[in-house]
Amino acid sequence: MSTPASREALVRRLRDERSGRAARIAGPFTPILLLVVWEVASRSGLLDARFFPPPTSIVGTFADLVAAGTLQTHALATLSRVGVGLVLGAVPGLLLGIALGAVPVLRALFGPIFASLLPIPKIAILPLLLLIFGLGEASKWVIVAIGVFFYVFYNTMGGVLQTQPIYFDVAKSSGAGRWRTWSTVALPAALPSVFTGLKLSVGGAFVIIAASEFVGSRTGIGYLIWSAWGTLSVAKMYVGIVTISLLGYLAGLLVGLLERRLVPWSRQ
Amino acid sequence: MSAPAIDLRGVWKGFHDARRDQTVIAVEDVSFSVGRGEFVCVLGPSGCGKSTLLRILAGLDRQDLGEVAVKGHASVVFQEHGVFPWLSVEDNVGYPLKVRGAGRAERRRRVGPLLELTGLTDFRGAYPHQLSGGMRQRTSVARALADDGEILLMDEPFGALDEQTRLVLQQELLRIWQDSGKSVVFITHSVDEALTLADRVLVMSARPGRILADVPVPFGRPRDILELRRDPRYGEITYELWRLLRQGAATASAGAVPTGPDASPASPAGPPGAPAGRGTPPSPPSEVRTP
Repeated sequence: MSTPASREALVRRLRDERSGRAARIAGPFTPILLLVVWEVASRSGLLDARFFPPPTSIVGTFADLVAAGTLQTHALATLSRVGVGLVLGAVPGLLLGIALGAVPVLRALFGPIFASLLPIPKIAILPLLLLIFGLGEASKWVIVAIGVFFYVFYNTMGGVLQTQPIYFDVAKSSGAGRWRTWSTVALPAALPSVFTGLKLSVGGAFVIIAASEFVGSRTGIGYLIWSAWGTLSVAKMYVGIVTISLLGYLAGLLVGLLERRLVPWSRQ
Repeated sequence: MSAPAIDLRGVWKGFHDARRDQTVIAVEDVSFSVGRGEFVCVLGPSGCGKSTLLRILAGLDRQDLGEVAVKGHASVVFQEHGVFPWLSVEDNVGYPLKVRGAGRAERRRRVGPLLELTGLTDFRGAYPHQLSGGMRQRTSVARALADDGEILLMDEPFGALDEQTRLVLQQELLRIWQDSGKSVVFITHSVDEALTLADRVLVMSARPGRILADVPVPFGRPRDILELRRDPRYGEITYELWRLLRQGAATASAGAVPTGPDASPASPAGPPGAPAGRGTPPSPPSEVRTP
């Protein structure tokens, strides 16, 4: 029988019970588990400690680099390159992705150009970019932008192509012209895919920038790792690797946060 | 009677499927007119070309032959997935206004009463995925009302809803329509729905879609869609419509005309009993009177 008391109790239980809440809170911290496993494996001799020193042993090196300000300088250099490169690549990727997705003639004409450029390993054109733009920041921005462009471009175009035709019909019957249709239908319909592209881009951008900094730079986390190899400083190498993984991870979370703000309709 | 809101004369529409090299005639020699303020249902089996007909009326497709006269702007209520998932209920309803450049304040002012009319006021900020199917279709109806054409075109808007929700929305639609004075063309595959709503029912055959009959519905207005079902004429007309639909299904010749090099030319103007293409069973005797 439903008494007011039992109904109220049920209402309270349903309100407080958020399924998977614990998992959602704990989720972002699970990479720490990886470090713990590594620590144990290294100390127990399961891993060769010369190449895989226990994480706690590199904490000292980490602290030294932070105290000297070296790590922050390098991290900032890498971050700003990734940031500028992301914007430089994502904006044209988005615009061209919508244009080629929405206009079949453009897609038929120019699609093959992008398809033929896609398989080129982006790092392979770094020497060329160094010749063109020199050793400064511009060459780093451009190589990141090229990598990002393809992720965003293809995901945006795919998103537009997958849009249900009925949405375009609604726009047309409401009297929307071409630009209105793009901005009110093609763009929002593609937005979830755009964010998939952006998430892939963040990962790809850090891969590209690290490799670029190995050879073409005297700053950045990539340079830090590369120079550590020169001095056989494994601990310093790991500081660089952990830092870049942390930066990439946080940047990914940031994009996820942005997605939840801009794509509220895909939230379950 | 004043000039009709919609007038079709000998309208044809076909599609060519290049991959299978087949031409499908979706709409065959359709003529009818809809008076101002009239509620007309187009009844036919799925795939009979009735949606194509509506797209032509809406200006989303062009007929291949014939003349189409639509007096004034036509607003469309689409099948169930027509609401934008990225807009709230309020913004979905205000979309046609936004497209025409109405500012936020004006949209609010004009959308408010429509939300009230369709019972959506409490859901104005919700996104479609948070709504039931019935609520989504209310949104779609409200958006067409915001579009405010003199003509309302509805493409099986309640087809995906459960029966009880459908009855509620049908009754509401009749109430809204009667106050609006709009002319309505309502596409449906449901005999009950056609009888419940329409002044006239146009029965279409299976593909290629032709108009088999133009059946007037004798029930008065305003209608109580429940009481309607007790009227003895309800059963009679239901039977008549089903009979027409069955004939339409039986006499539909092969809608797909092979267009390969050795295919004989299609004879579109032939009577329903004309010999069909190779491999199809002989047509039944021509007991059907063309409308």
